Amino acid sequence: MSTKSDDPRGLIGRRIPRKEDDRLLRGFGTYTDDVEEPVGTLHAVFVMSPHAHARIVSIDVGEAQQSEGVVAVYTGADFAGRVKPIVSDIEQPGYQPINRVIMATDRVRFVGEAVAVVVAESRYLAEDAADLVRVDYEELAPVVDVDQATQPDAPVLHDGTTDNVLFQASYKTAGFDEVFAAADHVVQDTFQSHRLAVVALEPRGCFAVYDRGHDRLTLWTSTQIPHIVRTAIANLLDWDETRLRVIAPDVGGGFGTKAYVYPEELIVSFLARELQAPVKWISDRREDLMTSAQGREYRFNVALAFRKDGTLLAAKAKIDCNIGAYPGFPFGASAEAGGAAIYLPGPYRMPHYAYETRAITTTTCPSGVYRGVAAPAAFFATEVLMDRAARELGFDPADIRRKNVLVAADLPYKNATGIVYSSGSFDTCLERALEASGYAAFRQAQTADRMRDGKLRGVGIANVVEHTGQGASRYRQRGILYVPGFDAAHVKIEPNGRAIVWVSECTQGQGHLTSFAQIAAEQLGIGIDDVTIIEGDTGQGPYGTGTFASRGAVVAGGATLRASQKVAEKIRRIAAHVLEAAPDDLELADGQVSVKGVRQLSMPIREIAAMAHSMDPRALPDGESFGLEATDYYDPPVASITNAAHVAEVSIDPVTGLVTIEKYIVAHDCGRVINPLIVDGQIHGAVVQGLSSVLSEAMRYDESGQPMTGTLMDYLVSTAADAPDITVLHEENWSPDTAGGFKGVGEGGVIGALPAAANAIADALAPFGARINRLPLLPSAVIALMKASPPQR
Amino acid sequence: MKPARFEYFRPTTPAEAVEILARYDGNARLLAGGQSLVPLLNFRVVTPAALIDLNHCPGLDEIRRDGETLLFGPMVRQAAAETSELVRACCPLITATMPFLGSRTVRNRGTIGGTLAHADRVAELPAIAVALGATMIAESPNGRREIPAEDFYVGDLTTDLAADEMLREIRFPITSAGHRFAFVEANNRHHDLALAGVAVNLDCAAERCDRAVLVVMGVGPTPLRLTAAEQRLEGQAITPSAIKDAAAASVDGIAFESDLHASADYRRHALPGLVARALEQAMHRSAETVR
Amino acid sequence: MSTAKHRIALTVNGRKIVREIEPRLLLSDFLRSELRLTGTHVGCGHGVCGACTVSINGSTARSCLTFAIQMDGAVIETVESLAPRGPLSVIQQAFHEHHALQCGFCTPGFLMTARELLARDPDPSEETIRTALSGNICRCTGYVHIVRAIRAAARKLAEGASHVD
Repeated sequence: MSTKSDDPRGLIGRRIPRKEDDRLLRGFGTYTDDVEEPVGTLHAVFVMSPHAHARIVSIDVGEAQQSEGVVAVYTGADFAGRVKPIVSDIEQPGYQPINRVIMATDRVRFVGEAVAVVVAESRYLAEDAADLVRVDYEELAPVVDVDQATQPDAPVLHDGTTDNVLFQASYKTAGFDEVFAAADHVVQDTFQSHRLAVVALEPRGCFAVYDRGHDRLTLWTSTQIPHIVRTAIANLLDWDETRLRVIAPDVGGGFGTKAYVYPEELIVSFLARELQAPVKWISDRREDLMTSAQGREYRFNVALAFRKDGTLLAAKAKIDCNIGAYPGFPFGASAEAGGAAIYLPGPYRMPHYAYETRAITTTTCPSGVYRGVAAPAAFFATEVLMDRAARELGFDPADIRRKNVLVAADLPYKNATGIVYSSGSFDTCLERALEASGYAAFRQAQTADRMRDGKLRGVGIANVVEHTGQGASRYRQRGILYVPGFDAAHVKIEPNGRAIVWVSECTQGQGHLTSFAQIAAEQLGIGIDDVTIIEGDTGQGPYGTGTFASRGAVVAGGATLRASQKVAEKIRRIAAHVLEAAPDDLELADGQVSVKGVRQLSMPIREIAAMAHSMDPRALPDGESFGLEATDYYDPPVASITNAAHVAEVSIDPVTGLVTIEKYIVAHDCGRVINPLIVDGQIHGAVVQGLSSVLSEAMRYDESGQPMTGTLMDYLVSTAADAPDITVLHEENWSPDTAGGFKGVGEGGVIGALPAAANAIADALAPFGARINRLPLLPSAVIALMKASPPQR
Repeated sequence: MKPARFEYFRPTTPAEAVEILARYDGNARLLAGGQSLVPLLNFRVVTPAALIDLNHCPGLDEIRRDGETLLFGPMVRQAAAETSELVRACCPLITATMPFLGSRTVRNRGTIGGTLAHADRVAELPAIAVALGATMIAESPNGRREIPAEDFYVGDLTTDLAADEMLREIRFPITSAGHRFAFVEANNRHHDLALAGVAVNLDCAAERCDRAVLVVMGVGPTPLRLTAAEQRLEGQAITPSAIKDAAAASVDGIAFESDLHASADYRRHALPGLVARALEQAMHRSAETVR
Repeated sequence: MSTAKHRIALTVNGRKIVREIEPRLLLSDFLRSELRLTGTHVGCGHGVCGACTVSINGSTARSCLTFAIQMDGAVIETVESLAPRGPLSVIQQAFHEHHALQCGFCTPGFLMTARELLARDPDPSEETIRTALSGNICRCTGYVHIVRAIRAAARKLAEGASHVD
């Protein structure tokens, strides 16, 4: 297998198959459960609450302790006073911080919350013992949704709070009320997106290995944020951070659910040191569906105000987010509700905006920042309303968007919440997507009854933006203190002229080992096979934030670029001395440093490396130190806004109501593309995750707070038979703000998929006057919409 | 999600298997393909004291024809039934239904007997057994008995088999020259568990239907005959108008249930369309039985 | 027979293995813990996601729904048998060239399923491929590149590439 490119120049932008593939294809990947277990490894199993809301009256672990192979059984009382609670304190007005003890002592607040942990010689034996733990509960009234939780007589779920609204904020542009009141036409509706489980293919797990001689702990964990996990463990267990190493080995998908510090990581670490044995916990899928951060239960009441010529004037949003039983660390309770409000303004000229947003706690699984966070739901609301406004005002949905979409002359554009779009191709992507999908011809051929070849057919457009690459300043503005916001890279050239780059992020399949190698190799003038990227290990390389929220390319890519440039500068300085040329006249390519335009005047970079390690008879220039390495900490100054237009075509079986995605086109601008193959893969994956939540995914709770979709037989994820082929068209408008001009790409696919598919389904059901405002659109929902107002004969 | 402990038996004859069943008096389970049972074991939803593995018992995986009957041993793999030329020739409705049973990997291990005896309401083969008028042969230490398929299905995951009985053989009448057949389903995803399915078995001579057996599955705990629809078809030419008539009548007398995946209303609404679709498919497909 | 350990003798990736195991030990755990063949992954434990797919006696099967004790006398192949060293198989190479994997967790299951598909149907249409893959879940790729990789592998095999896997 070869990823060698004959021409190492211009690696950024090239479609290079990934360096990470070989071992993964052979089955040699090392996910957390694959890490070699030292002899004596113990296995942990958690005893989970079967009630959504209950007081723990008593726990009897006697029988469990006697069970075969059991080493210890711990309850919340054993950790109290020895491990600090997880505090999600966000500095923002309207925020009520709460504590979460790492294991419940007196009260449980969701089905699946752990009340005891059994440690035994095998997972099988630990499960046997867990069945023997007797817990006596006094059930309390559950609160399952935002309405229940905000009733005046609703139980207050958390000590130290006045009610269950853990965060609220509101905002209004100056002059909003007048503009809104004067509008010719208002479209309004309440949109509800369903609670989802994230279902990364690898369930969560962690494995703590304690070195009792050195009093050092290594925690292997399937995480997106190893540095944040390490700092949290050190703080909450009162340990020395320098004796802690957190390693994310291969991680089988993250998507935001693994961007939290979980109680299990703290507990497993504690137990390993306490029991002086390696302790491993791997969740099974049932646990994962019950306890890993869920997402997207949001209610958006949105109104869009228009002039009768179709000009968009203002948007008003009232948002309620069900964030579940506990805000997660480090994002806290406001990430979703705050983000929901901030992300709503899209790629249109829209001078006025007003919002009220709330984050509400309920007795359900904690919810968090699942891919796209609230943006998919926000655009579900706004883009469906755009289509409705179009129809009501007599426009084609494409034309109302054309009328309002930002064009080059509008840039830089400061949106109604103060975010600046400094670059983008909002109108170009719209046109390209429409053209590539054959939109005009589809509309031309479309009949009033929408039937063709025995199916109802429709087309839908989504025009969206994505906030990517957020740095420290953005997180501080949002009051999120415990996300550092920067990332870093340390580039080191070894004596043999090859490079290692340690990056502070943590891939879960996004292709960092290739993308960042492309960046470094291009700066350093060496081959991509001569660069090794190492990530995900707090014991190697600089501190940083981690990989989530579409930040990898911008932040880690930026750090890699800048660190590589520093090393390249040193290479030039040393070579200038040897070649007797000016450093600025030298270029690095093909493993050589050469005088521009005079290729014969060159020397191998390998020899520079040898000189830098005192392994060459030639001395370094005066004042130059040995070594050939540099570190860069990069904090992007602003969020990078990407834009995309999605067009979906659907067909609906009128007998069963099953929706099929027939065609899917994305025109996408993520700034400077590092590897188009990887960008395509990110977009495909995100689109299908989004479509899956339109078509079939729903994490259901009954009225007592019991999760009803507890297995993959009931929680329905799209398979290849449900997913469409997807065409991706690239636009590249480099960011003027970020190092390298990169923007992020990971979440845009989800953001566009919800509205595009929803609009296409609404279009197909137009004869029935169907108003789409709820997801998912399972066959039952589609049939119900058809029955609600059958077409007039 | 690891199973609880169990005793493990590997009988080499059916007699041995049922003797162990009898000994454990309801506390033992037969392990066939495992595709339905092992998830329940892994979840500890069922915790039998003993598992009786039939996979090493010879002679249980035969498909053979005996006169006008097609016989299946219980351990015939679904994949084997799917590709069997004998099955296609004798009972093509079985062949046509097999792709609905789950992915290829599941069908490689899953068995005909296992899925029939497990009696999951979303399983397709019970409906096919009823549609084709199959006979289940049960064997216990006391001998054998015959149970018509229609009487075999008693409730959710419940058959007429006693605690000491195993499903020993399944007999299908070989279909006639005028046999018209189809199976259709409604699902929440493409290739998914059924929300409702309709099996059609028509005996047609010169475009007139002598006998119609229509079965719906997935709307309640057991497969149900669509007798009102059948009555509209028997003795008729199967014209589009007859199909429409039968489809409309199909809901009569059928109890529809709601569950996590679809409401009773949905199932009631979908049934006529599924019946029509199945009948159209049946009439367009040429008869393929070989005498 | 009892819950005590039983002896099994089987062949895994061409190697003869003899072990004593308890009846409830799942094949997935046997392969991963006992034989350190960690390429087979457990994504759900109830037979839906397909990440645990191996080959038993020449046909794909869910190792999370099989007990190791049932495998006495069986011939098992896992993903590690496709290319333990040396060049990747045609299907693996196609996955690489078409970026048909991201996190890689589902990939072994897809490879085993694709191998079986192409052995049976050397020229599958896109629809056939998607149907054949409906028992394997991927959350990263959206399946687009996986389908393209399998089509490319089919073409390559038809052109007479050296090994089927």
